[in-house]
Amino acid sequence: MGDSMKQDFPIFSREVNGRPLVYLDNAATTQKPACVIDAMTKYYSSSNANVHRAVHTLAGEATEGYEACRKLLKQRFNSDFAVITSGTTEAINLAAHAWGEHNLQPGDAVVLTEMEHHSDIVPWQMLAERIAIELRFVPVDEGQLDLDALEVALEDAKLVCVVHTSNVLGVRNPVEKIISMSKSVGARVLIDAAQAVPHEVIDFKELGADFMAFSAHKMCGPTGIGTLLISESAFDEMKPFMGGGDMIQTVTLEGSTYQTNEHKFEAGTPRIAEGVGWAAALEWMSQIDLKSHHSRLLKIAQNVAKQLEQKGMKVYSTLNPSDAAVVSFTHPTIHPEDFARLLDAQGIAVRTGHHCAQPLMEKLGVNGTIRASFYIYNDESDAEVFLSGIDRVLEAMA
Amino acid sequence: MTWPDSIQEIISEFQEIEDQFERLEVLMDFADEVDELHFDEWNDSNLVRGCQSVAHIEVSIRDELVWLRAAADAKMVQGLQGILSIAINGKSPEIVMQLTPDFAEEAGILVSLTPSRSNGFRTMFDMIQNRVKEEIL
Repeated sequence: MGDSMKQDFPIFSREVNGRPLVYLDNAATTQKPACVIDAMTKYYSSSNANVHRAVHTLAGEATEGYEACRKLLKQRFNSDFAVITSGTTEAINLAAHAWGEHNLQPGDAVVLTEMEHHSDIVPWQMLAERIAIELRFVPVDEGQLDLDALEVALEDAKLVCVVHTSNVLGVRNPVEKIISMSKSVGARVLIDAAQAVPHEVIDFKELGADFMAFSAHKMCGPTGIGTLLISESAFDEMKPFMGGGDMIQTVTLEGSTYQTNEHKFEAGTPRIAEGVGWAAALEWMSQIDLKSHHSRLLKIAQNVAKQLEQKGMKVYSTLNPSDAAVVSFTHPTIHPEDFARLLDAQGIAVRTGHHCAQPLMEKLGVNGTIRASFYIYNDESDAEVFLSGIDRVLEAMA
Repeated sequence: MTWPDSIQEIISEFQEIEDQFERLEVLMDFADEVDELHFDEWNDSNLVRGCQSVAHIEVSIRDELVWLRAAADAKMVQGLQGILSIAINGKSPEIVMQLTPDFAEEAGILVSLTPSRSNGFRTMFDMIQNRVKEEIL
């Protein structure tokens, strides 16, 4: 299955260090199908113009192309509001500034977890510096969030920010339950879905969260663009964060009035080509059965994890039925960077380091891990090459 | 540029290797050349900053010659330290000050590494020259 899909991705025709590319760094970013690359090239070749204001043909085409992205996002994820951002990080920062700063008071509690990516920790720490909110962290126990501790942390909480699927472990958190627990105390909920949307289609309204942030590039779209989905009630509580062009209705020397839709959070010329590219990716993804790929990839990852353990590696990913196909592991003596470099020398791309989740690394008691993350174009043969590559590294380092 | 024989030998050895994996294996073999800086001696002043793995280097001048002791948690960084040891150990401060880290580029060593590691190599090289400068001034 992976092989035939690889034909849609030009990058898989290249070799790395004399070997066919085996790309297993999908949790960092996914590869782009030809239709995405073509859409962006076509936009720059034939429709390039600024959006929303001018009346000429090119401006109309550019606006239509960019707004198609928003429309597709709203359709796919069932949301009334989709603010286009530069990615997950900016989306969470937007929530912190545009909602947090205007709706939280000094002393208010914001609940986070030890599993969060830095992008869902640092913006809240910065907000705490600005308005003295209290940050509470739900601990991770054997790769899972401690829901008993969450219950305690929820007392008088105003906001709960939780990662849907961990970028380090692939663990899919019980977000439905977490949202329901959070809503029962009246807290708003922000979901970091960067690692979730590549693997499942989420109905934002049904989920019941107030904010959901994710990026295009982890789901076959371009880098530099993402979104913050917002519930209607939360949207009404937000105030513009960045001021400038495109987000205003009128500007006088005495003051300004703002747009009432998502544009009020998108000051300046937006990421037009990236929006066109993401729209192409969303259309392409709409033909993909993510569910069947998920079970196929999870089986591959489970088998890889089992074999890594047999080869003496410690595997941190739990790979439960709803988890993403991510295998994080370490070797007792070989440094992760040495490991990854020797794999790269064989054309195999994996990620090493703390994966922008240092608190979780501390909890796991490691400085970093090696992470192999699988995506829809990967197949059994990639796993075989990866495991052979591992054997060669072990032999060389023996 | 003309390099001292010991460095020219390293450059030639790496230039002859075509396979990337083999090049990294050879790089790691140079770890054996390191006079190890014991863990107890690791401190902030000999910590290599900007290197993704943990690395320390200590430079001393004995009998008017420069000597390097080093340590790292990653084998490839140890290999880089081994190459630096060959380039520096037993040389006069004047010769060490004339060296540039370009030999590693000429050998194609840095091409094999991530930017953080090649930056780490340059940082280690700069640390060595700065220490030598401090010692001889």
